[in-house]
Amino acid sequence: MSGLKIAVCIKPVPSPDQYHRVGIDPRTKTLVREGIPTVINPLDKNALEAALQIREKCGGTVAAISMAPPAAEENLREALAMGADEAYLLSDRAFAGSDTLATSMVLAAAVKKLGPVDLVLTGNESADGGTAQVSAQLGEWLGYPHLMHACGLEVMEDGFIRVDTAREDCRVAYRVKLPAVVSVVRTINKPRFTSLMGVIAAGKKPLSVWTSGDLPVDENFLGLEGSPTKAGDIYQPDLSRRCELLEGSAGEIAGAVLQKLRAAGLQL
Amino acid sequence: MDGKNGLWVIVERSANGFRKVALELLSRGRDLAGRLGEVSGSRPGVWAVVTGPGSAPGTEELYRYGADEVLMVCHPLLEEHRTDLHAAVLADLIRERSPGIVLFGATAWGSEVAPTVAARVKTGLAAHCADLRIDGRGLLVQCVPAFGGKVLGEILCPDRRPQMASVRPGVFQAVPGDAPAGEPLVVRPELDDDDRIKVLEVQRREITGKPLEEAEVVIAGGWGVGSRENWQLLEELAGLLGAAVGCTRPALDEGWTEGEHTMIGTSGKTVRPKVYLGFGISGATHHVVGMKDSGLVISVNTNPNAEIFQFSDFKVVADARAVAEALIAELKAGKTS
Amino acid sequence: MDFSFSKEQELLRKTVREFVEAEVAPMAAKWDEEDHCPVEVFRKMGELGFAGVFVPAEYGGAGLGYTERAIILEEVARHSAGLAMFLMTHQLCVAAILEFGNEDQKKKYLPGLASGKKIGALSVTEPTGGSDLANHQTTGELADGWWVLNGRKCFASNSSNADVTVVTAKTGTDEKGRNVLTAFIVESGNPGLSPGRKESKFGLRVSVMGDLVLNNCKVPPESILGGQGKGQRVALGTISEVGRAGMSAISLGIIRACLEDMVKFAKERNLYGKPISTLQAVQFSIAETRVDYEAARLLTYKALALKDAKQRCDLDFTIAKYFSTEAAVRAAKRNMDNMGGYGVLNDYPAGRYLRDALATLPSAGTSNIMKVIVAANTLG
Ligand SMILES: Cc1cc2nc3c(=O)[nH]c(=O)nc-3n(C[C@H](O)[C@H](O)[C@@H](O)COP(=O)(O)OP(=O)(O)OC[C@H]3O[C@@H](n4cnc5c(N)ncnc54)[C@H](O)[C@@H]3O)c2cc1C
Ligand SMILES: Cc1cc2nc3c(=O)[nH]c(=O)nc-3n(C[C@H](O)[C@H](O)[C@H](O)COP(=O)(O)OP(=O)(O)OC[C@H]3O[C@@H](n4cnc5c(N)ncnc54)[C@H](O)[C@@H]3O)c2cc1C
Repeated sequence: MSGLKIAVCIKPVPSPDQYHRVGIDPRTKTLVREGIPTVINPLDKNALEAALQIREKCGGTVAAISMAPPAAEENLREALAMGADEAYLLSDRAFAGSDTLATSMVLAAAVKKLGPVDLVLTGNESADGGTAQVSAQLGEWLGYPHLMHACGLEVMEDGFIRVDTAREDCRVAYRVKLPAVVSVVRTINKPRFTSLMGVIAAGKKPLSVWTSGDLPVDENFLGLEGSPTKAGDIYQPDLSRRCELLEGSAGEIAGAVLQKLRAAGLQL
Repeated sequence: MDGKNGLWVIVERSANGFRKVALELLSRGRDLAGRLGEVSGSRPGVWAVVTGPGSAPGTEELYRYGADEVLMVCHPLLEEHRTDLHAAVLADLIRERSPGIVLFGATAWGSEVAPTVAARVKTGLAAHCADLRIDGRGLLVQCVPAFGGKVLGEILCPDRRPQMASVRPGVFQAVPGDAPAGEPLVVRPELDDDDRIKVLEVQRREITGKPLEEAEVVIAGGWGVGSRENWQLLEELAGLLGAAVGCTRPALDEGWTEGEHTMIGTSGKTVRPKVYLGFGISGATHHVVGMKDSGLVISVNTNPNAEIFQFSDFKVVADARAVAEALIAELKAGKTS
Repeated sequence: MDFSFSKEQELLRKTVREFVEAEVAPMAAKWDEEDHCPVEVFRKMGELGFAGVFVPAEYGGAGLGYTERAIILEEVARHSAGLAMFLMTHQLCVAAILEFGNEDQKKKYLPGLASGKKIGALSVTEPTGGSDLANHQTTGELADGWWVLNGRKCFASNSSNADVTVVTAKTGTDEKGRNVLTAFIVESGNPGLSPGRKESKFGLRVSVMGDLVLNNCKVPPESILGGQGKGQRVALGTISEVGRAGMSAISLGIIRACLEDMVKFAKERNLYGKPISTLQAVQFSIAETRVDYEAARLLTYKALALKDAKQRCDLDFTIAKYFSTEAAVRAAKRNMDNMGGYGVLNDYPAGRYLRDALATLPSAGTSNIMKVIVAANTLG
């Protein structure tokens, strides 16, 4: 099969290796994430890598789509630098407060506007919200077949792809008719590093900003108002323990550890 | 009885019965229903909804763990891996019978079926809840983790029904009761298939070693373990202690352990053993949320300021290998003396 | 005056950092301990365009400038100053050929060097002293249409793993009796070229450095770089700008490593029931390091802006190099002080930072030489 048009959904998230710095302002009860840089959701890079590999094999184009505040332009440029051909930033105050149903509705509207797309790839879950709900719901809004947990992806005979998925105790391979939505897990590939040549090329690739008015959105499911779920209080669980030091030679430490295990009720 | 306003637990089948998470949810569902009864004056029924190609044996278990009713949804096309079809029949049933709450286990299967169903019936879904309770208005308060578990947020679904949530295995405890078993209700929905999704092959994976979530003692290793050779020591130690071995993501990436199912944390297992013994683990939130409910926590790390120590009852500032070797020696000496 | 990096430069920094955090950071301590030079990582950096960042696209480079090169070196040095040294010295060869080579030489050598398929070196220093540059014992004599090179070089980075080495040799004397030097491009595999002893360095390990022996090493006249008798210009031009820029950028990486580690340690380490970051002595040392970093950064990137604008910048690099390398030593010392006893443990990189910082001092000219140049310029 030649020339697939692929859309990859990219969510900008606060850098996951710095979540120890996330906190809650005790006064305002709002989230504090100051100084944590925003990066492309790690799994979305795997999705983009999968798309790029398909393009390298079969030709076609790869579009990166993100629903996010204007600053996400930077992350979309990153996607372009990694190899996407074009990028679309869906940005509008009306999108604020979207839950997964509302988010996936907007993403679906953008995919529809892109014209006939063969394949939509997403990460299986985001690092921040991490619901792992957007891809399936996107598939539903589009009316496309959809699968999650993809650890392998291969274009088959005309109009079909093979999707290998990872479950707890097995691997299941599917044949899926295009167009389809597939979300990928980490093991599917190792995302490439961006080259300097990619960085330079990114500056010249098209990046469009679409607002709510540009998209065929469903007003009933738009933004905070249209989201069925509402966020309530947030809090930070206190997981700290008292942490006593066990000291001595290795042998003494081992003895002390075993004694604690026995005290915890283990028969050793 | 049609299940209207009922509390449904969607039960995933396993090779030899039902996934344990369904039992955990039924037990929790029983408590939630009781609470709803107190708040609103009418206790909803707890329904176990099982989908599959034929009726499943062993439904007594579902009643024992909290189901008032068992709804058996059968169709030959409802083969395990056709999550799309399971979602389709569940969405139809929900529209037809209007439950008030629907709970899913967040297994690979459940986390695919749940959002599909929610999108079909256009309602809210809270993912991977760490807790569920009923507030004063009778709403389901869904406590979801964000930022790898660093923060918990409460999610409500005030206007649309049903209120839907998914819960990871191991979050709630399955508590058997003494309710008598009833007669499952069997429905046979209509279902069509087309060529959009087809299962090509299923490769089962034999999982060796003790399942993490069932072990009394978990030995967890991180990147600081250093090498496959050192990892063998953890395995040996686990053998001596009757423990299961778990890992962090970097240890998995190094290929020291046999697979994803041994990873503890946000994207892996939640464990709550009597004893958790950690080696060379830094204590990233992503990992800690998966072990925080363990009984006794002892951590070994060369860094005296390692984050993991904050979540530990005892700390050992030393080389992982040295401590593992000493424990093995001590245990062997104990066995022979 | 615009002191901000362009969006493209910011994106470049981010992508380089991602590479370094994934492929360099986890291995840096091990490479240092084993003094292992990871050529495979160098090849990867080549594929990503790092090796030939400032080489025009027509010669297979990324087509960016020396500022971008410094960003890369700073990011690499943040986790492994030794690896950065490897990259930086490779680039001295690249820069020498780019700036002084003729079209044929550029076409022949730059694509391989810029893509990292080939490793480059620039070998000038001799046992008679690096500061006394012109005092060369290595000779080049023309015989039967070939140049025959004889002598021993020392302190040559990439001595044993370079495919292409630019060497200088004395090819005559001028009317005042001073040595006239000529630069030659010598390829590995030449039977007259062999690496000598590999030095064991206490800092900037990872990067290979050692002797290079020229024993009746025959090269054709086409291998003369920058013209006969122009060797001093090639060597000095490359070292004083590209070399000093590189050492400044590497120092920036070391200072940033110290600063970041100091902040982390100060917040994590509790004494008297409080993190030591609440102690003013600790705060001051962090403030001093921050100021050192910002000052070194301004000096370095200012000189680079001049270089990329093709303006005169040799003095600016001299100043930047002197300040940045000395600041790196100060920063590394403060980081050690900050950590108390932990600072001396090899479990922490504090010792490596200090060793690397000290090793930056002589490279591309010692602090005293830098001061001699600055003084001469200032006194007029
Ligand atoms: C603490 C907290 C808890 C929340 N809990 C819930 C909840 O339980 N239920 C709920 O409905 N909402 C919830 N939300 C809202 C939710 O996080 C976001 O609104 C959401 O829509 C994105 O979902 P996700 O991050 O979980 O994405 P996931 O479904 O985990 O993401 C999967 C993939 O979808 C794609 N994707 C997701 N978002 C975007 C985007 N904006 N642009 C482009 N691609 C995207 C990416 O490829 C991503 O890898 C919560 C928010 C917070 C802060
Ligand atoms: C979206 C996302 C999801 C994730 N999900 C998970 C998850 O489910 N589970 C998970 O575990 N991680 C997960 N991670 C990764 C997580 O963020 C951390 O990177 C990971 O938990 C760190 O693992 P570690 O402690 O083994 O390694 P490191 O952070 O590298 O720590 C190694 C530790 O070993 C110590 N050490 C070094 N040498 C020795 C020695 N000789 N003896 C003793 N100690 C030594 C060091 O001091 C250090 O503290 C996720 C990350 C992301 C982005």
